[in-house]
Amino acid sequence: MGKALIIDITKCNGCYNCQIACKDEHVGNDWTPIAKPQPDTGQFWMKVTDIVRGTLPKVKVAYWHDICQHCDDAPCMKACRQQAIYKRADGIVIIDPEKCVGNRNCVDACPYGVIYFNGDLNISQKCTFCAHLLDRGWKEPRCVDACPTEALRFGEEAELKEYIKQSEVLHPEFKAKPRVYYIGIPKRFIAGAVWDPGEDECTEGATVTLTEPGKAKKLVARTDRFGDFWFESLEVGKYSLVIEKPGYKAKKLEGISTEKDVNLGDIELVKR
Amino acid sequence: MAEKKKTGKDNGQERTYIKGLGFCGNGIDGNLTEVDVKDGKIIRIKPFRYTRKYKAEEFKPWKLEARGKVYEPPLKTLPPPLALGYKKRVYSSNRLLYPLKRVDFDPNGERNIQNRGKSGYVRISWDEALDIIVGEMKRIIKKYGPYAIFSQSDGHGETKIVNGGHGAHRELLDLLGGYTQQARNPDSWEGWYWGAKHVWGCEPVGMAPQGNLMLDVAEHTDVLLHWGCDAEVTPWGWAGQSASRFIYWFTELGIKQIFICPDLNFSAAIHGDKWIPILPNTDAAMQLAIAYVWLTEDTYDKDYIATHTVGFDKFKDYVLGKEDGVPKTPKWASELCGVPSRIIKALAREWASRTTSVVHGNGGSYIRGPYATEPARLEVTLLAMQALGKPGANQVKMMEWGFFGRTYEMPVPIPVVMPQVFACYKGFDVTKYPKQIIAKDMVAKAILNDLKGGPPIEWYGTTLLAEMTENQFVKYRYPVEGCSKVHMIWTDSPCWITCWNGGNEFIDALRSPNIEFMMAQHIWLENDCLFADVVLPVRTKFEELDISVDGLSGQYRTINYEGQCIEPLGESKGDWEIALMIAERFGLKEKLTQGKSTEEWMKVGFDHSGLADLISWEKFKENEYYVIPTHPEWKKNPRGLNAFYQDPKKNPLSTPTGKLEIYSQRLAEHFPDDEERPPHPRWIPYGKTHQESRLCDRARKYPILVCSNHPRWGVHANHDDITWFREIRTCKTRGADGYLYHTVWVNPEDAAARGIADGDVVKIYNERGGVLAGAMVTERIIPGVISIDHGAKYDPIVAGELDRGGAINTITPGKVTSANATGMATSGFLVEVERVNLDEMRRKYPEAFSRPYHHAAGPGVASFLYGGKK
Repeated sequence: MGKALIIDITKCNGCYNCQIACKDEHVGNDWTPIAKPQPDTGQFWMKVTDIVRGTLPKVKVAYWHDICQHCDDAPCMKACRQQAIYKRADGIVIIDPEKCVGNRNCVDACPYGVIYFNGDLNISQKCTFCAHLLDRGWKEPRCVDACPTEALRFGEEAELKEYIKQSEVLHPEFKAKPRVYYIGIPKRFIAGAVWDPGEDECTEGATVTLTEPGKAKKLVARTDRFGDFWFESLEVGKYSLVIEKPGYKAKKLEGISTEKDVNLGDIELVKR
Repeated sequence: MAEKKKTGKDNGQERTYIKGLGFCGNGIDGNLTEVDVKDGKIIRIKPFRYTRKYKAEEFKPWKLEARGKVYEPPLKTLPPPLALGYKKRVYSSNRLLYPLKRVDFDPNGERNIQNRGKSGYVRISWDEALDIIVGEMKRIIKKYGPYAIFSQSDGHGETKIVNGGHGAHRELLDLLGGYTQQARNPDSWEGWYWGAKHVWGCEPVGMAPQGNLMLDVAEHTDVLLHWGCDAEVTPWGWAGQSASRFIYWFTELGIKQIFICPDLNFSAAIHGDKWIPILPNTDAAMQLAIAYVWLTEDTYDKDYIATHTVGFDKFKDYVLGKEDGVPKTPKWASELCGVPSRIIKALAREWASRTTSVVHGNGGSYIRGPYATEPARLEVTLLAMQALGKPGANQVKMMEWGFFGRTYEMPVPIPVVMPQVFACYKGFDVTKYPKQIIAKDMVAKAILNDLKGGPPIEWYGTTLLAEMTENQFVKYRYPVEGCSKVHMIWTDSPCWITCWNGGNEFIDALRSPNIEFMMAQHIWLENDCLFADVVLPVRTKFEELDISVDGLSGQYRTINYEGQCIEPLGESKGDWEIALMIAERFGLKEKLTQGKSTEEWMKVGFDHSGLADLISWEKFKENEYYVIPTHPEWKKNPRGLNAFYQDPKKNPLSTPTGKLEIYSQRLAEHFPDDEERPPHPRWIPYGKTHQESRLCDRARKYPILVCSNHPRWGVHANHDDITWFREIRTCKTRGADGYLYHTVWVNPEDAAARGIADGDVVKIYNERGGVLAGAMVTERIIPGVISIDHGAKYDPIVAGELDRGGAINTITPGKVTSANATGMATSGFLVEVERVNLDEMRRKYPEAFSRPYHHAAGPGVASFLYGGKK
């Protein structure tokens, strides 16, 4: 067991408090032996990235979070020739700032790209889960403390079971055994708006049937008052859909690729 | 938190202070935080725990329950990044550490007024600074009389009380015989104040009362229309992030959230079930079409209109085209506002068939454009047509909770006392003013008019935010008979250039030879300070002992003993202290202090806070805060306008008829010929005052409309130098030359048509000047529109003409809302955008482009020192 971090993308309002609180804690403050100061800019031990999804007017934003995964089988530890990287009993991976000699092997070895090199201090640096604070009795690192919506949760893995159940880890194929769990990783959506050009009206109550590639199961949505339909959480692939409403000619759209999120735009449904 | 445990060599000696980091600045704080300090340095700023010294049951935690779900406010505050990153503001390269004098300003010789904003500064001593200031004050008072001194003191910023800015010097000026005051207009409520008040009263700013509306929405509302506002942005500077949690909760309750705005703003981006993009400042057309749908489909509340409103028939005739021959159909509106007619119809039907409240957050493009009176009045009219005040149908605000200390402004459960510490507030009192005032949005015009020697300028209303509607029919003029014109400016917490209307006009005014002396006092060397002859360094609140109340959070109300965290930086002084230093030279210091120390003044504030019966001063000082318990009968706090809905005769509005005046007899009588704010609301795309519509000839040259919101990464002029924000793309964009340009959102279509790629530096311009910005090419903004937040730090290339910092307000209209409405118009105006060739720009303006700046923080003190050196 040990500490774990849950990142619920669906609850993140994008305020960047986590990124800023991390800087507030680590820029200009020396927490040796856990960490030396983070440079003022350029490093993001908790990094938020805006992902703009879809096209006008079917646009949404999700906020991605990159952070050290505190892997149980951490590639950085193996890559360090100085044995400067160690795992604490609580699962936290620390780069010892006094042992590190800046050969950067860990930066290259980290498959998640979350280790930074500090040229001024000639050391590698990354998130410590604010171990210096946990050791003083804090229950959670600064990023989690600052989160206004509980999109971030931190604690003993055993206590977070209920959240871990709904979550996934990034790139399980790396076999690094991360201690960071993500809920609601954005997949793809297909959306559109159905209307009746003859009446100049949005088409409410049309049935939209989406066929997933290689699956017998069909997804069905109904258009709302604005003629809108959304299919969320789709895998990348090729889809086709049929729009039907009694009294109207059915419309079939094929070869819809979800390489990106898809806004099919305004779709005309014409009366028979 | 076990802060006392010693586990490492650095631990164990931290001391925690309590500081409010709300940025309203006018006596009411918010964003309560804990500030950890060690070795005289701020270590961290973190959320405040209400339970630090009290058990939760002592302040009686509240919760809302509706539809089987519960909302509980967290037991720690929800500060925004603006508070958590504020340490950077304290130790900024932009921080003023000693007094400065413009190098070629000599009060006894050549003043070189034309060089304001150009010639650079040199360090002087406090003695020298005070000699110049007091000498100039005496000279000017002797030559012109006291009214020649003009006081500007109301920009938003840190909320300090005893040692506060925002007019700590005004009491001194009073004692010297008077002065001319800048009347702070109700910024961010333009349309409500100058428009909506004429329909529904709702004094003083024209927005609806908020009593218990969070519960009302939770219980009764089906649809929330977030109209031209961003509750994930604007509340940040005042109240933190409770609004965010409430909106998430409303989604959880199954309430549909529809956003109407030109930009996919930060709320729409995460909470939006539906985004209806609309061209800036064309909402009135869509609102009229919604009324048309309701009238023609007979889906409005006719009984309510009969009992609760007056003058509806005139409005109805106008909408149906009986008055002007133009029915305001969805097709008609669609051409004007860019929303397809079928969407307008669907929205109208959604609103008519499901219980709907309109949400504001506040401000935004919607209510701050030319003729903003019209969308504001139309919103009230539409709410009236669906029985405004019925359960679940109100105007809901996502900030200013507990505004003016009023319980009816509390959408969340009220405390037993709404505490205030105005008794010891040394800043600006919104209700008092001397006999000569100038409306803030008329100041540049007033000064330039003096220069031209024109007749006195006139406007309606004091423009002060606490005024009643009747005052809008009173004409004010400057200069007042018997008072001097303005010859000296004393400005604290300045932000004209980057936050007010027609910033470039302000710059022209500040270079008027009539302004013989200008002094600024501020924490940072920025914006208007760059035009002062003498600049005085001010402390941040971390360097001061003070008292505050957190009265806006939407969680619990507190009164706070704010200890001094760190020693003052450099030679900085408190605003009040500066006033006292100057008063001393006039022999008036004792009169101002009344012999009281800062802490004695704090006690005065505490004694009058309304809390003295609940906790002793000694206990308060020991605990450093007190959480006011929840009122046991909070559920009885009347909901929004429900009482009016239930019985308009018994619970009338403050309008002359006590009803919703859809046709305002008062406007008809006072302004019979006003085509820009006629008695009932209309579609007014342009007129004599403004030509900022795509329908105007100007649009051929300047085809793009600007949507300018309150800033995401700052509060008005504040926070722009925080390096940690400037790394965020929606804040700044790194140009090819390495400079961090203010980010502007450009639609891919518009970008392609102009050869603009993501990350390019662009020039946004009209005949009022140009502003450089960094293009973010994005689907978050509709074609034909750019979105750029106001408040970027001014960095002149050619002062008054071209700015590198991205201060978009330099090129907003200088004129007020409309002929007789003295608000400002800072969004929804015309520009063109073009890609900038940086090499060419650098060749053309070598001086500005070689001026030093901090690579991460942007221009700072070193940028504006004479010769670029200390």
